[in-house]
Amino acid sequence: MAIFRLHIPMLDEVKQKGLRPALKDKWVDVVTRVTAGLSPDDMRGVLRDDTPGRPNPRLTPHAEGFWLHMKPTYYHRMVDGLYPTFRLGWLSTFFGVFEIVTGIYLMIYYTPSPLVAYENMLNLLSNVPFGQVMRDMHRLAAELMVIVVVLHMLRTFITGSYKKPRQFTWATGVVLLFVTLVLSFSGYLLPWDQLSLWAVTIGASMVEAIPPEVVGRNVNLLVRGAPEFGANGLLRFYLLHVVALPLAGIVAFGVHYYKVIHHGHSLPPEAEKVGEDTAKRVPMDSRVYFMPQILTRELWYVSGLLAILFAAAAYLYNAPALEPHANPLITPLHTTAPWYFLWLQGMLKVGDKVVWGLIVPGLLTGLLLVLPYLEVGPSRRYGDRRIGLSLAALFVAAMAMLSYMGTPHYAVSTSPDQEAVAELLPQTHPGPLRSAPWEDLAYGSFEASAWAAAPNATLQDLLREFDDVLTNVQSAGRTDVAGVMVIEDWQTDLKKVTLRVTWTNVPDGTAGEFSQSVYLHRNGNYGEGA
Amino acid sequence: MSDAGVQTAPGAEAGVPLSRREFLNYLWGASMAVFLAGGGGVTLWYALPRFREGEFGGVFTLPITNLPAPDSPPADFPDGRFWLVNVGDGTLQDPRQPKDYPLEPGVKALYKVCVHLGCLYKWVPTNDRFECPCHGSKYLKSGARIDGPARRNLDVFFVEVLDASGNVLSRSEPVMGSQEASSVVIPPEAVALRIDTGRRVTGASNSKPGGGI
Repeated sequence: MAIFRLHIPMLDEVKQKGLRPALKDKWVDVVTRVTAGLSPDDMRGVLRDDTPGRPNPRLTPHAEGFWLHMKPTYYHRMVDGLYPTFRLGWLSTFFGVFEIVTGIYLMIYYTPSPLVAYENMLNLLSNVPFGQVMRDMHRLAAELMVIVVVLHMLRTFITGSYKKPRQFTWATGVVLLFVTLVLSFSGYLLPWDQLSLWAVTIGASMVEAIPPEVVGRNVNLLVRGAPEFGANGLLRFYLLHVVALPLAGIVAFGVHYYKVIHHGHSLPPEAEKVGEDTAKRVPMDSRVYFMPQILTRELWYVSGLLAILFAAAAYLYNAPALEPHANPLITPLHTTAPWYFLWLQGMLKVGDKVVWGLIVPGLLTGLLLVLPYLEVGPSRRYGDRRIGLSLAALFVAAMAMLSYMGTPHYAVSTSPDQEAVAELLPQTHPGPLRSAPWEDLAYGSFEASAWAAAPNATLQDLLREFDDVLTNVQSAGRTDVAGVMVIEDWQTDLKKVTLRVTWTNVPDGTAGEFSQSVYLHRNGNYGEGA
Repeated sequence: MSDAGVQTAPGAEAGVPLSRREFLNYLWGASMAVFLAGGGGVTLWYALPRFREGEFGGVFTLPITNLPAPDSPPADFPDGRFWLVNVGDGTLQDPRQPKDYPLEPGVKALYKVCVHLGCLYKWVPTNDRFECPCHGSKYLKSGARIDGPARRNLDVFFVEVLDASGNVLSRSEPVMGSQEASSVVIPPEAVALRIDTGRRVTGASNSKPGGGI
């Protein structure tokens, strides 16, 4: 008696039907199982856009399979065009998935420790094949995702799609917006350069301002893992960035998308009577089926976007060059928040941090969250929503203005001599001097005013720019302003460049001076993303 | 208990009695809520960083020669996270100095971190003041805020002046009628300064444009 009996039905079928027909039947069987209901002929019918049979086999994967169980089997023709969705929700999802995939690639070469994180970045950018393009793509898609998510929310507001019965969908969308922003921000700390450290220090200090003092102090400790950012803080932000926030985002996305499909995509406002919602009652002649139209189109969207993102990251877009290694002892001049938080930095310059850093942003988020429960006007027509739409336009304008106030141009300018040097030798990005061809930095001492006499075009350009900004130093209190650039051969392949501004103070005739030096290596590769 | 046995007054809402099963389910639910609340508390406690005594902050002893001359630019001590300033007559008579805060000549140790949002402000000699590169708060050498979004004067550390045998000759004291700590006068026999960065005095609130209460 056998302990176990191995039975291979395929062999029986081969015996019964012969090899070829048995293999063909097996093939049909496997494909139908993998696609949760479509035979190879059905699949070809989808790709050829043939008229489906009855009953329509293309509906089975939606009912039987996991991957399409939330996807609707058909859409209304009126939401299939560019207007009214502009594909913004779809794009947000695409970028979210793209970020997860590129993020996993980046994790292969990254260790969240202040001892090695910066070195890991340098290695990724200069030594890992496709490392730089991988970082560029991750960063580019992150910024695009912020833009797309914000536009998606604006579009939903403008077409009134947040109104009954879609209030809760909107609220989950606000959660997703929040997750997207915090995800982008938490990723900021990971390269462990000066920008990382100080942008996130400001963020954590805002948390520290939460009253009462005992709450703020402890929440700050929870976030930073210590009184100052260090190993613990970096690890905590890393875990937030790669585990907690993506998980929260995936859950919120599930609820959001379920609600979108449950209520149906809202039709253009002018397509329905006021107060009516016919999104789920799609007449037979207005149906656009997922298979084949939407499926094939989304396939080529994905292919096209991947090609565009890769080409853009390879040829057009460089993620901002790494700043110097994080240094808890120096805050660089002109430290700025990422552009999508400039509005917040602008508000923080206005006044008290509890009011402008916590209460106002908190109120804004809360208002956004409950907006559809407060604004309950039944009409989605543009003409009936003049006040709401005008307020939205004002809000966008206010954000733009606050964002301008967040830039270094507003209220943080330091003394003109330091600003003049920072023009050539900025502390937050490479700038003209570091990006200049290394070989052209000829040994010598050069007067800015005598820029035309410099030995080559690179030096002439740099000195002329220096000379231009020096006019800002000249004032009623300061005369005889002069600028010098001193270039020394410091070591093999290393030059020391010093920018010096001198002047005479008018009332007392004393001399003033400010200078700053930088060491430039032949292979420094500034401005190339490394 | 059967439904037939429940009598309700006419007009009153027909209530369903609390059954044993329902009661027990509420009990399980409540115990789970207590467990989750406890778990949440433990999570916070677990995640709060712990420090060894003296890991942050410390006592710095500096020879008196490190002290800048009165009214000269402040001296930077990155290790201790403070600026040492010597307030002289020029600083006292600075027209930008807000009048609301008591200020006498002497030495102060200013905590390097901006009281707004934690950046490190720096000394800008041309403008003769401290400036924060992040949101533009401005402070005088005396530690008084004169501009920007900060809402108090700079925080200071306690300073003690020591003689050759280590006796304390003078120290910063709390100032009557103010939250600030006083500047320390340096007696001639002083040889060293002791700065305790574990003892930080929060600056007095100051919110007017140009400084002042």
